[in-house]
Amino acid sequence: MAEYFTARGLPVPRELSTNPLTNWRRLLGIALTLAVISVGLQITNIDISHANPQFASRVVGQLFNWDTSILTPQNEFETFWDTAEGLMIVTIFLGIIATAFAVVVALPLSFLGARNIMTGNPITAAVYVVVRVLFTIIRSIDVLIVVIVMAVLLGIGNAAGVIALAFHNVGVLGKLYSEAIEGIDPGPIEAITATGANRFQVIWTAVLPQIVNPYISFTIYRLDTNIRLAPILGLVGGGGIGILLFQSINLFKYGAAGLIIFMIVVIVAAMDFISAQVRKRLV
Amino acid sequence: MPSILSLRDVVMVYPNGTRALDGITLEVQRGEFVVLIGLSGSGKSTLLRCVNRLVTPTSGTVIFDGIDVTRAKGAELRRIRRRIGMIFQQFNLVRRGSVFANVLSGRLGYRSTWRTIASRPDRADVQKAFENLGRVGIAEKAYSRADALSGGQQQRVGIARALMQQPELMLADEPVASLDPATSHSVMKYLEEINRKDGITVLCSLHFLSLARRYGTRVIALKAGKIAYDGKPADIDERRFKEIYGEDAVEVEIGPERSQPQPMSANDAALRALADDSDIGRPDR
Repeated sequence: MAEYFTARGLPVPRELSTNPLTNWRRLLGIALTLAVISVGLQITNIDISHANPQFASRVVGQLFNWDTSILTPQNEFETFWDTAEGLMIVTIFLGIIATAFAVVVALPLSFLGARNIMTGNPITAAVYVVVRVLFTIIRSIDVLIVVIVMAVLLGIGNAAGVIALAFHNVGVLGKLYSEAIEGIDPGPIEAITATGANRFQVIWTAVLPQIVNPYISFTIYRLDTNIRLAPILGLVGGGGIGILLFQSINLFKYGAAGLIIFMIVVIVAAMDFISAQVRKRLV
Repeated sequence: MPSILSLRDVVMVYPNGTRALDGITLEVQRGEFVVLIGLSGSGKSTLLRCVNRLVTPTSGTVIFDGIDVTRAKGAELRRIRRRIGMIFQQFNLVRRGSVFANVLSGRLGYRSTWRTIASRPDRADVQKAFENLGRVGIAEKAYSRADALSGGQQQRVGIARALMQQPELMLADEPVASLDPATSHSVMKYLEEINRKDGITVLCSLHFLSLARRYGTRVIALKAGKIAYDGKPADIDERRFKEIYGEDAVEVEIGPERSQPQPMSANDAALRALADDSDIGRPDR
């Protein structure tokens, strides 16, 4: 095929000049991928030979043999808020409060992290870079790690969970909000600037109306995610229903654990549905 | 009488190296209707944006009513900008906002930041907004969302917004390039009216030479960032047309403003005859 081109003194198109079967780069890529996987299998030493099928099947059975005693206070010292459903409500609000805290911080920061607003003078351009790097660093630290740190700093409980979740979400929401600002139509900014409005008036009049919907949409998306994450926080000291789940598993109370897992699944599925519906109506 | 606008040796080089304006010097007198023509990329938009400093020229000075726009900063620059109205090819309205709110936003340069946040316009501003909407014939659309209007109506909202500034100079950046021919004339007539009745100086870029001839009192042609022609619209003949638009260009007409056919001007007839002639390709410079 290549002779057609060489005979006429034309360069051979890239797609025709290499044979995929003898392309050493491609072969090297495939070899490297296989090497990484085989080394990984050696190092991680995945071995399921120690699993005990009888024990496992018994546990699975217990997971579905729900222990409903956790749904009522067990002694005179316990209140509704110590029951599984009480803790579930607390957990949902952990997610809501964490989202609210994150929004309050991320909202003003997002303007400082939007390129189209911050370019124009070297100082604001530098602020933009700093804010965006900050968002990236915050985002890159996993929530569970932040919870562990916060549990050490603030003690195990709801405060550690909420603050850790809020912290992580400042990074996520800050990035999403900033990108929403960067995606707006620049025309109105130009027009409002031309009327002699100051910078603040320009943002208020030309930018805000364009970002309200994306902001609400992103906030609901994160609220959904945070309510999913909240039950996990208790496993590492963040409060909420996760603590009860963690205790139940440690005490081999699989009937209680199974019921809690079921409750979490129901709440997460409900949140997923509600958030999708609300977001659909916004767009 | 001193000129309202004067540009001296204005050069604009964008960061990517594009030399959009290459030494523009011109004077605009109060009351003129100046039409800027030229190919896409010839610097028309940049020139307009240098006047109210939406872009800052690399060198040269822009003087508006005796004030150096190129040196102005902060509050002084905003005071200059509010005396200069501007309308845009894409209208640049806040699409989700009401027509009324869009028109009122033309008053921002006169309003405190606090009044902007509290959404508490003066009674006088509200009245002025309705007057200006009435002037451009869309008072009944005040409560509609801006993006629910047709292109021509949106541009009229743009004119009403600019009128709220009580400008002395109106910049119009391809105001009819997104509109159909009939709507184009209606928008151009509003510009003509504010020029003749209110004495607002107009600096307007246009694609169609026929519109430039019909509405301009003066035509400035830009070519590669330089002034290629500056004079009366009627004096643009075939030779000048080719100088501005290049040898291959053929003039096209935007439709007549009334439904009955208008008599073709002698000039247009000559241009058409020339355009049909195969001999006109030779260079004449």
